[in-house]
Amino acid sequence: MSSQAQASPALLGVGILGAGPVTQAIHLPSLARLGDILEVRHIMDIDPVVAESVAGRVGARFSTSMDELLADPAVDIVAICSPHQFHAAQVIAACRAGKKAVLCEKPFAMNGEEAAAISAVSAETGVPIIVGAMHTFDPGWLAAEDAWGDLPEQVHTVRSSIVLPPNPRFEDFATEIVGRVTPPSSDSTDPEVIKGMLTGGVMGLAIHDLPLVRRFTPDFADVEVLHAEIVRPFGYVISLRAGNVAIELRAAMNATWEPAWEFEAIGDDAALKIDFTPSYVQAGSATARIRTAGRTTVLGPFGHNGYEGEWRKLAELASGTGQPPSAETLIHDLEFALAIAEAAAGRVDTGRVDAGSAASGTTADQEVNA
Amino acid sequence: MTTQLSVYADPQAETAGAVSAVVASLPLSFAPAAPAVDAAPAASGPDVIAVSGHAGWTERAAAAVRKGAKGIVVSSPVAEDPAALVGVAEAAGSVVVLDQPWAGNLALAGSSENAHSVIARALEDAVLLDSVAIAAPGTDPRDLLTEQFSVLVQCGIEVRNVRMVQRNANGYTVAGVLAGGVPVALQGILTSALPATASVSILTSTGRADVVLPDPAAAWPAVVRAVTKEGATALPTLYESSHRTSWSRIHAHLSSGIPATDLAQFSTVLSLVTQLTS
Repeated sequence: MSSQAQASPALLGVGILGAGPVTQAIHLPSLARLGDILEVRHIMDIDPVVAESVAGRVGARFSTSMDELLADPAVDIVAICSPHQFHAAQVIAACRAGKKAVLCEKPFAMNGEEAAAISAVSAETGVPIIVGAMHTFDPGWLAAEDAWGDLPEQVHTVRSSIVLPPNPRFEDFATEIVGRVTPPSSDSTDPEVIKGMLTGGVMGLAIHDLPLVRRFTPDFADVEVLHAEIVRPFGYVISLRAGNVAIELRAAMNATWEPAWEFEAIGDDAALKIDFTPSYVQAGSATARIRTAGRTTVLGPFGHNGYEGEWRKLAELASGTGQPPSAETLIHDLEFALAIAEAAAGRVDTGRVDAGSAASGTTADQEVNA
Repeated sequence: MTTQLSVYADPQAETAGAVSAVVASLPLSFAPAAPAVDAAPAASGPDVIAVSGHAGWTERAAAAVRKGAKGIVVSSPVAEDPAALVGVAEAAGSVVVLDQPWAGNLALAGSSENAHSVIARALEDAVLLDSVAIAAPGTDPRDLLTEQFSVLVQCGIEVRNVRMVQRNANGYTVAGVLAGGVPVALQGILTSALPATASVSILTSTGRADVVLPDPAAAWPAVVRAVTKEGATALPTLYESSHRTSWSRIHAHLSSGIPATDLAQFSTVLSLVTQLTS
């Protein structure tokens, strides 16, 4: 199944597993801005209609089989944008297929065993892997990292606060979506639903910032979830402690038109605040502010966001330049996120999660009295 | 015609409330009290006495009332039971105004109907209340918590089921709920890198309301902003420190004879603080 013209040898070929809204509204628009170095050559989706439609808009081949995409010699870089449960197996398969680089949307595995298996295959094959934690590739973040000096050693408080409208608002600014699936409604007073919201909130939303949080928490392995509750219609309030660092995670996906995605790391006499741009739209990079008493250093905004940063990095790696993130870093990021998600959801089982709504008939008393 | 009231502040009260500068900015309303001569007291005591709010302020304020002051301004009062002071002040017919750095900001004054309207509308549709208070290292977290709760009470926000989630030398986190069970998250952070500010963010189903209250060391204006489906609205800026607002208030109370409710409100704050720190 092909409609693509002869591939240009000067460009690196991209194949994408999974053609849902993230591929359509994030990756393809980012790749369209990088047409001088990257070319989309193969799109795979289990829905042939979606695969053909999405491939057709970029002149790529399409298929419904991972094996077919991995066997395509025109594909140098594989992006894995499938549902979470397929990530580990597909990353491993892409490495074994001898591709030049792999991008795996977060999370790149669902447990430590999968992560270790990926690490082993990456080491064995030498194929570099990037996980789609886009904020770590945002030029605003990278500029802050270059400028913050000894900030990580003094940070005692970290805050991640995310307020976003539902994804379709920004998807529709970025592209014209095909195959959108409306999520089923659920009873947010059901403990299993609450657990799912907390796990999904951490692994789907907070995970964007958790690699940043971990940068300021040397004792990340000792993370302890002290409080967790959901925010309706979707969101969370989670309080953590990792060593001497207090970590506060807030998120609310309501029907607002105004996004606000803020990350803060605060020490005794220096503090970092980063305002990230919303996903999906090409609204440039984050703006970082490093403050000390009476002095503010502003970094950014720059002209591209972290998603484009990911692809620029992948192009470097596939060309044999640049340094990939270490497997240890990726595994530790994943372990950190999994530990928080499991502990937050686990508080539901112990009756220590606040249901946070009069409609639920449950209140903070549950936690107070635990 | 404005009645000019005489003012006395001891050095600690002067430092706590920047009294001289504030009095100088209200020249028709106030004037420094005549100093005592040859260690003898002035013929009549000052109309208004400024009191520093460090530990023991309720007793110092009561003593000032007993000296005959018509009005007492207490700057940055720490958590301390005002019950005895209430009795002393009521018996003497004196007015006590609390000069609180954030809660005393003009943006939250009873006369600021627009701000209270923004907050009230957001509370009707709230999904999360998130508040952060920032103070300098060395600040007693209990004092910071007192100031933060004072802001919430001044905003008309009733927080229930408060619980200390974590507390250390660098700050604290408190969880609670609004009347409808909506989550409340309060955080206090100690740092010298950021100005001493308090923020209250009320996220709603379709937008938000934000109040950001500045350090009263200068007349930085508070920010009051509402986001609704129709757009964003910022209320007009008010370039007045909470110190000056407090002194204007006590003058208004003394001129009108309308009693102040500061001490009663502070009792509510104290009750919340005590639940967390006792």
